[in-house]
Amino acid sequence: MRQRYTSDVLVIGTGGAGLRAAIELHDQGLKVLLVGKRPKADAHTVLAAGGINAALATVDPEDTWAIHAADTLQEGRMLGDPRMVELLCQQAPQAIAELEAWGMPFARTSTGLIDQRYFGAHRYRRTCFVGDYTGLEIINALMREVERRQIPILERAYISDLLHTGNRVNGAYGFWLADQRQFVIESNAVILATGGHIHIYQRSSSRRRENTGDGMALGLHVGAHLADMELVQFHPSGMIFPHELAGTLVTEAVRGEGGQLYNRHGERFMQRYDAERMELSTRDRVALANYTEIMAGRGSEHGGVWLDISHMPASLIRERLPRMVEQFQAVGVDITREAMQIAPTAHYSMGGLKVDPFSHATNVAGLYAAGEVTAGVHGANRLGGNSLAEILVFGRIAGQHAAEYVRQHSEQPVQAAQIQQAAERLAWASQQAGDFQRSLIDQLQQLVWHGAGVVRNEQTLEASLDQLHTLRSQSQQRSVGPADLAASLDLQSMLLTAEATILAALMRPESRGAHQRSDFPATDPLWQRTIVIKPYRDQTEQLRLELTTELIPTASEDVQAAFNQQEYSVAGRLVE
Amino acid sequence: MKVTFRVPRFDAATDFTAKYQIYHVEVTPYTTILDALNIIKEEQDSTLAFRRGSQSGIDGSCGMMVNGRNRLASTTRVMGLNATEIALGPLPGFPVIRDLVVDFDSFFAKDAVMLPYLVTDIAKPEDGKERLQSPKDANRIALAATCNQCGCCTSACPVHWSNGEYYGPSALTRAYRFVEDSRDTAIKARLEIVGSETGVWRCHTIFNCSECPKSIPNGENIQALKRKIMLNKIGLGRIEVKVARTEATV
Repeated sequence: MRQRYTSDVLVIGTGGAGLRAAIELHDQGLKVLLVGKRPKADAHTVLAAGGINAALATVDPEDTWAIHAADTLQEGRMLGDPRMVELLCQQAPQAIAELEAWGMPFARTSTGLIDQRYFGAHRYRRTCFVGDYTGLEIINALMREVERRQIPILERAYISDLLHTGNRVNGAYGFWLADQRQFVIESNAVILATGGHIHIYQRSSSRRRENTGDGMALGLHVGAHLADMELVQFHPSGMIFPHELAGTLVTEAVRGEGGQLYNRHGERFMQRYDAERMELSTRDRVALANYTEIMAGRGSEHGGVWLDISHMPASLIRERLPRMVEQFQAVGVDITREAMQIAPTAHYSMGGLKVDPFSHATNVAGLYAAGEVTAGVHGANRLGGNSLAEILVFGRIAGQHAAEYVRQHSEQPVQAAQIQQAAERLAWASQQAGDFQRSLIDQLQQLVWHGAGVVRNEQTLEASLDQLHTLRSQSQQRSVGPADLAASLDLQSMLLTAEATILAALMRPESRGAHQRSDFPATDPLWQRTIVIKPYRDQTEQLRLELTTELIPTASEDVQAAFNQQEYSVAGRLVE
Repeated sequence: MKVTFRVPRFDAATDFTAKYQIYHVEVTPYTTILDALNIIKEEQDSTLAFRRGSQSGIDGSCGMMVNGRNRLASTTRVMGLNATEIALGPLPGFPVIRDLVVDFDSFFAKDAVMLPYLVTDIAKPEDGKERLQSPKDANRIALAATCNQCGCCTSACPVHWSNGEYYGPSALTRAYRFVEDSRDTAIKARLEIVGSETGVWRCHTIFNCSECPKSIPNGENIQALKRKIMLNKIGLGRIEVKVARTEATV
């Protein structure tokens, strides 16, 4: 017997955005249900170390929301949606006050106010933090509020399909990871808060087998649009050796504290890429420089470059970078005496579901989204500290508007035929399931890394698209191995979101921020446009993707007045 | 290096006793216990059940017994154990669901008893900004606040083994985190909860719980709560009494 749940609003994903949305819905008096495929409180939010941005003007009184917005838009190479960015920067201070009221143990100034520090490419100190585990404390604070309200959470539950009828969603279908029993959830509206898709890359800072683009795929299947999929942030410094840890983040603070980058010949190569700011240049520029050196054969034997901080006093390194000292000690490297080997690693999906900037509604009625699964805030380069602000501000806004939607629309009961269809898809996926799927995931990651990685061009992208189609047909062959239904569905989501990323990257004939085309090295002002992806079904009912572009509105006068007229020095400002 | 893993196989739905299964895994100096389990699951036996979460020691999903001690599988390096044979087991003191997965329902229920959220009647500032807290006060709760409920402490507590009603160190550290928070004003209610029959007085100061993956001195926190209760009882609760505490430094 299939289990059945009902709720006014279903929130999929139990990271920061999902929890914040659920709290808002509960406070509006609605019946809300949280579902996550991992144990509660276990989401990528906990890995966010550095902090959360809000122009509180506590430490730097000159700071305003408009300057925060201007920094975000300019560093996003003008591909962010100004309306969404402005909303974020205006409401971030309120998010901080909420967290504080919920007991978040923020670091404080000597006068008892919430302390703020510098982050890369911000004009003022506006990043609030708790040591180097800010994300963990945010999850702790939100989870406590969820418990206080006794909001039900279904843990280790995998959502395989959204249910929709008459152009609106009315629930979801899924199964328990433990025993694969299936369940139906009836709900008047759904909020997707499922995170990004960077696991499509061989080397990423996400955890093993996580961040598989589930939410974007769920959305596409019911007709939701994506945007900015070609824009994936590569962090300049991920570990590269040993391979068990490849991709693990090496914090930007190493460079902030004076770390220097070297190639095989002992050259401080940043001189060639950004002579003024050197290692303190922006994430996209440093990542590109590292990549170029490695590809030109000037890298280390493991395929990285060297990041060296050993010229600084050992005591200072231990005091300022304790986690890094520990992280490298574990692999036998003493960073107070020797250099680290690093290489770029996929870090964040700046693209995702296209949502209304004010309500975070998708184009499908009753379907909302918040957090990394959405597009719009970060443009072509995300500023450190903005993602934690984003999940709280837009988690709340998505909750608010979903509540409004529910009040205005009556329930649409789930039909037997809908359940039948979802169960059939699961049955299909379980026929394809097997240990075999894991090796296909590994192959997919390699082809995306090589074809649509730090630097792409038409050739690599086309080649990877061909290989992707081959992989897809392989993935649909029957398997005799033991069933691993989740892996099979993960793979399908990854194939779909990888295809979106490759197609969008092919379409953008320029280099801008994180999107670097070796065949179009210059930025084209005409391409200050958003690439939007719309799904449709062909004659064989296969899901296909159609790409178009949209113009980006101009920023408000307040923000335009705050735009930075000249490049400024970031010396000593890059601390994560 | 080839290492032998001895893992109990048990399914509460079908089995009465556990069988042991042997796996051989090739490890490098960097392989963690969790890496080894992933290798087993993905390459040798997909039926093996264990929990994994952040895979980096942050969220505490992968607590288990490793050669007789409760540890997080994701932060324990195989070679660091100096053994070619490693016995894994589920966290003791909890019902086993399957293989290395235990039932944490009672554990989380006890946490919920602790009012695990800020309760305060200090009015919010009218300008909509934050309440003040000195860096010293913020530091008092910094360490206890990092508890990720991995359960290694409560599962290591002999009192908890024999008395399932005892709140146990993890829930009591949670209470301690709010008792010590300068913004919280529910101290009286909180001390009543932790001072009840199934609370701090069950603790026999065995201190197994202080061997914490996050270096939280759980045993010491329980003793601090006992002192707080006593000071309140004799009317000294509001006076700052300096007591030497052995808190690990962050």
